[in-house]
Amino acid sequence: MNPKFSVLVIEDEKSILDFIVKSLTAHGYKVTPAATGKEALSLITSLCPDVILLDLGLPDMDGCKIIEEVRTWSSNPIIVVSARTQEEDKVHALDLGADDYLTKPFGVPELLARIRTSLRHSNKLNNDSDLYKKPYQAKDLTIDFLKRKITLRGQEIHLTPIEYRIVAYLAQNSGKVMTYSTIMNNVWGPYAESDNKILRVNMANIRRKLEINPAEPEYIFTEVGVGYRMLDDEPV
Amino acid sequence: MKCLRYIYSFFRKHYFTYSALVMVLATAVAWLFFRFGRQATTSILLIYILALVLISCGTEGYRYGLGAAAVSVVCINFLFIEPVFTLTFTPSGPISFLGLFAISGIASHTVTSLRRQAKQLAAQERQLAEAEKEKMRANLLRAVSHDLRTPLTGIIGSSSAYLSNADFYSEADKQKLVQNIHDDANWLLEMVENLLSVTRIQNDCKQLKTSPEVVDEVVAEAVVTLKKRHPNAQISVTVPEEILMIPMDAMLIEQVLINFLENGLTHGKSDKPLLLTVENEPEQVLFRVIDHGLGVPADRLATIFEARSETLPAVDGYTGMGIGLSICKTIITAHNGTIGARNHDSGAEFYFTLPKEEHHEP
Repeated sequence: MNPKFSVLVIEDEKSILDFIVKSLTAHGYKVTPAATGKEALSLITSLCPDVILLDLGLPDMDGCKIIEEVRTWSSNPIIVVSARTQEEDKVHALDLGADDYLTKPFGVPELLARIRTSLRHSNKLNNDSDLYKKPYQAKDLTIDFLKRKITLRGQEIHLTPIEYRIVAYLAQNSGKVMTYSTIMNNVWGPYAESDNKILRVNMANIRRKLEINPAEPEYIFTEVGVGYRMLDDEPV
Repeated sequence: MKCLRYIYSFFRKHYFTYSALVMVLATAVAWLFFRFGRQATTSILLIYILALVLISCGTEGYRYGLGAAAVSVVCINFLFIEPVFTLTFTPSGPISFLGLFAISGIASHTVTSLRRQAKQLAAQERQLAEAEKEKMRANLLRAVSHDLRTPLTGIIGSSSAYLSNADFYSEADKQKLVQNIHDDANWLLEMVENLLSVTRIQNDCKQLKTSPEVVDEVVAEAVVTLKKRHPNAQISVTVPEEILMIPMDAMLIEQVLINFLENGLTHGKSDKPLLLTVENEPEQVLFRVIDHGLGVPADRLATIFEARSETLPAVDGYTGMGIGLSICKTIITAHNGTIGARNHDSGAEFYFTLPKEEHHEP
């Protein structure tokens, strides 16, 4: 890994901070720890880290404040770390502009995977224009955005226009959690109903077409109470 | 039906409107009798008595009943006793008027005391339920603190062994110690998540926050979570072809499914895959987890969902599933569903049902 990617870890719990710093350093990242929100904000402006790992429960300020602040001038990936019971907080953080979230407790492999995904996406942003969109490809699924064609195990899959838009949107943001409201806004427009039932039903239909067993999905995963995440595409 | 209920609840709140309406109706009917009937005085009096009883029963306290009695007296005198449209008092008048007052007074008194009694009974019942809940909570706490202590002992023991004698152990031993800590910690996590589910129910005072959820998604989430914890677990899942959306708290139902699957894995002790099936029934949805293991001992079947109390000492410590299952029962009961366990030919089956429509209890 050359040059090293830098990660800013904002976490007030000493033992958790310790284990994150240790494991990330071991995997070749350049890690900077921060224990308070104030410290974090000044470090973000001075270091411009490649990835920000943010615990929402900070002693001196609400973690969401940091997201808002950073998003006014930077699109660097922010991964939020939170406890299990705060679904609303997660959704709020994602809607504010966080890229992904991790639920405590998490293991090192999961943490690394999320950081890799975020890094890839932040790189992708640079070469991703409307004119050039490379096809999505993961396992046996291919999506050609230009031809609007979805193939699964060599067979073409027929989706309704709405279903295609949902899948295409998720595929373009693969590996990331997309909240219900974000998807609704992108597929049905800003005046969509606030009730996400229609999205859920469409998703159930999509699963019946894409997955061998809808109860054991391979491509589109549910994050209960938050949204959907599509399997990360495989870099060519 | 809805309209009637609405009117009823309106009058339960607006006693004055109710009383006035009854009085006006009574006067109107009495007027019809007076205009078109012969010897109407008795009927008119009866109508007013009926009105007084209705008012006394339909309102609280004595005020409205006695007030209505006074109004009736004036109405009768003014409208229906010759000469009409004047207030005249004959010697027989006061007696019938006193009668009217007495009737409304007695009716009001009876109704008021009945109501008071009903209220007292309800309060007593509430206290009893509260005490029962408190007892359950105490039992749960006792069982939990025992079950938490076991893995904690493992964690503290293994880690302190590592810290104090790190040089002494071989690389394999160290690996083993850390693995033990890892396993115990994971077990603790499961426990804590179960307990969190309970607080989720008790916070909202029985009233669950449900929303329509797609069954596939909840099932998939449960299976994914379980596979994360037990990468070697074999689970075969079948869900119905149609899309089912039923009202539930997804987190809690996921917890129940995880507990069932976990239970099947640890207690089933079998190499055959676990079966998780969802069946669509007319009124409800049936979830079943079937293992091909030893089955549940017959004497435990009936009480398997009760919180393990002091009667059953934990032998090996890792019997915390008792709490897991009792939490399942709490969750399903809060959803107005049913839960159960039975043995089949080659193992055990745990099942629960969820109603498709939300039942609003009165």
